[in-house]
Amino acid sequence: MALLQLIARRLIQLAGVLLGISIVTFLLLHMAPGDPARLLAGDRASAETIAVIRSQYGLDLPLWRQFLTYLMNLFAGDIGQSLRFQRPVSQLIQQFMWPTLFLTVYVVCLAVPPTVALAIMSARKPGGTADQVIRLIGIAGLTIPVFWLGIMMSRLFGVSLGWFPVSGYGVGISEHLHHLFLPALSTAIWLVPVLTQSLRAALIEKTTADFVTAARAQGASEREIFWRTILPNAVLPTLNLLGVMVAFMIGGAIIVETIYAVPGLGTLMIGALLGRDYYVVQGLTLVFAMSTVLVTLAVDLLTAFIDPRVRL
Amino acid sequence: MNFWSSSRARASGAAMRGVALLAIGLGSAVPALAADVIRIVSPYQTTTLDPMRSAAAGNIETYGQLYSRLLRRDPESGALGPALAESWDISADGLTYTFHLRDAQFSDGSPVTANDVAFSLERIRSDKKSAYPAPLGAVESVTAADPKTVVVKLKSAFAPFLGNLEIWNMGIVSKADVEKQGEEKAFSTAPVTSGPYAVKEWKPNEKLVLEPNPHYWRKGYPKSDANVEFIEIASPETRVAMLKAGEVDVMRYVPWAQIDDLKTVENIDMRLEPSTTIYMTLLNHKREPFSNLKARQAAAYAIDNKALAKAVTRGYAEPANTTLPGSIDFHDNEYPGIPYDPAKAKELLAESGMVGHEVKILATAAATEQQMALLLQAQWQAIGLKPVIVNVDGGAWWDSTGKGDYDAAANWWYNETPDPDLAVRWAVCGSCGSNSYNTFYENPKVDELVEQGTTETDTAKRAEIYKEIQKITTEEVAQIPLYYAPNAVAYSKRLEGIKLTPSLQWTLEDTSIAK
Repeated sequence: MALLQLIARRLIQLAGVLLGISIVTFLLLHMAPGDPARLLAGDRASAETIAVIRSQYGLDLPLWRQFLTYLMNLFAGDIGQSLRFQRPVSQLIQQFMWPTLFLTVYVVCLAVPPTVALAIMSARKPGGTADQVIRLIGIAGLTIPVFWLGIMMSRLFGVSLGWFPVSGYGVGISEHLHHLFLPALSTAIWLVPVLTQSLRAALIEKTTADFVTAARAQGASEREIFWRTILPNAVLPTLNLLGVMVAFMIGGAIIVETIYAVPGLGTLMIGALLGRDYYVVQGLTLVFAMSTVLVTLAVDLLTAFIDPRVRL
Repeated sequence: MNFWSSSRARASGAAMRGVALLAIGLGSAVPALAADVIRIVSPYQTTTLDPMRSAAAGNIETYGQLYSRLLRRDPESGALGPALAESWDISADGLTYTFHLRDAQFSDGSPVTANDVAFSLERIRSDKKSAYPAPLGAVESVTAADPKTVVVKLKSAFAPFLGNLEIWNMGIVSKADVEKQGEEKAFSTAPVTSGPYAVKEWKPNEKLVLEPNPHYWRKGYPKSDANVEFIEIASPETRVAMLKAGEVDVMRYVPWAQIDDLKTVENIDMRLEPSTTIYMTLLNHKREPFSNLKARQAAAYAIDNKALAKAVTRGYAEPANTTLPGSIDFHDNEYPGIPYDPAKAKELLAESGMVGHEVKILATAAATEQQMALLLQAQWQAIGLKPVIVNVDGGAWWDSTGKGDYDAAANWWYNETPDPDLAVRWAVCGSCGSNSYNTFYENPKVDELVEQGTTETDTAKRAEIYKEIQKITTEEVAQIPLYYAPNAVAYSKRLEGIKLTPSLQWTLEDTSIAK
């Protein structure tokens, strides 16, 4: 029952978030300098041509009217047409959505196992050699920017060694795995240290928790205590963090997608922003907002599943 | 584009997993180049397939593959020759052009008729949405005399007319199809084409896939039956990696800094192809300091454009000597240009009374634009101006220059034809609707010369007119000429016969793939 309430509450929240987000992006976009008609027609189009294109797309109407039209269409389930390509925004998003989702799942698959292993290694003996080494490598890595790492990896593994393609998405699952390996690795390399530190801290904290002492007093073996008591309790904050990161990746894989030329949502977003393709940017922002809310919801449901207290 | 991000790296665990996945990855065959696709990677996007709708870089390269014009240029000699028009007659007074069409077909097998030609040219000329009607500015009417004959009447004799009919937006489209489907729909996915290729698949913002048009009028062309992919990649590092890894055959717009490196790669042909591109800096004549002639001259004398060209392009471009592109007809090679003379610059600036005046330099994020902006800033600072660089993206750049909300902006333009008529109308003519490329430069004498150059048919006299235009506009510093840049394009050596012409058209139909 509580679960249903949670879901219902989130869905109501979602409506509010979407409305707020669309107002903000609409205003930001339209107030930024730059004219989609000019970018469409090119350098040499005359002012008259630009004016005709603007009125054809309703860009000459007052802002509030444009926004109202947009909202009405939105309620009717239509998120609009791309100004640049004369195609429905939904069709574009569908085209570019799969590589990004695939990449996100791929990153999670690459990042979670080493995170768990490394955090456990670190937390076994806080301050020990393994812990220091893992932390040191993690911190050293903080200074390597994704775009640099991406370029270097694509040069080494793509160009020099020829092990991986340096661009694109491929056709079929095995090609996707092959094409997206370097992008996923670049992201995982950035993600693992963050998650590891979070999980490590939680593990160490829980070792001294009362319920652990209680379990020990009941005569549980150390092994049992770790796997049954400490780990499930420590996983929760990291799971939340992972949720935030996943939402972030769906909306923010821009750098990695640009470097490896992955035809994903990040690439579409950049193109749309630079081309002032208003409705595509709006549509993408809605999708990003929606995915953030949904991912958080999924994490909360998972948490509820792991931690019975939440269900109360 | 710059997208900075902090990040973290770590090795052991993920690397080990990496090796495991690597094994899977290698199992699924490294993608070798399929024999039947020519892949071109470019930063320029295709945003519309309607030849009338855009004059932006990516689109004009696409138009050339999809739509034939009445005439075509020989890719080797650059000479104008017949295309959809098999022959033509010009009346003695130069006012009436009669074109006799050949038996050609559209990609759907229907014949190309005089009606299609009249329809296509008329929409370029008079449709309000037409992005670039200027080349047909002198046309009075286009009519189909019979199914195979098109008659074009001009308002006045117009020397470069035939050349203008060859420009990329003059492609012939199917009247029947456009009328049946409506403008938007006819061009939205796979339009009926008259050129060497037809659209197989268009994934906007990603790539355009073309296949040979089986009904193309040049029998036996395209020489190769390969499909062509135009892949749009903004990041130059990624484009280079793709080329080196063999994932693409052609890389458009090689950054200057990468040229030497690509020259050493064995199976890559790194070429610097002739172009009509000129890099210059716009100056805003609408407001101080550059509304003042002496301040403009001071700014020009302060720029060492030989050093600048060398620094930015590593010596691959020629310093510019006039306001017009170096390779167009009637370019004045003898003109000395504006010398670098900082002492004189200071003197002129003092006379203008603009010492210490702020100069807003607009720059986009591209490496070349950033470098030019920095060098301008340094050299103008040295003579006592107060330059500040304002970074913007392309959209905001057009917005600001169009409104005249800037003082200087280094940029480039190119001319579609070897004839200078369109170039002067674009860059230095105040009454031609271009605001002299957003500089708001206006000199009635120049405007008059521009009109004379259009109607004069005697070549020697035209040469004099354009020489005069170059002299006046360079002396008055309509813009500051910086350098003439070649097109830097890298090709896989397996392709033969391919190049990018000065009019920015790929010779794909003449391209074959070496076995």
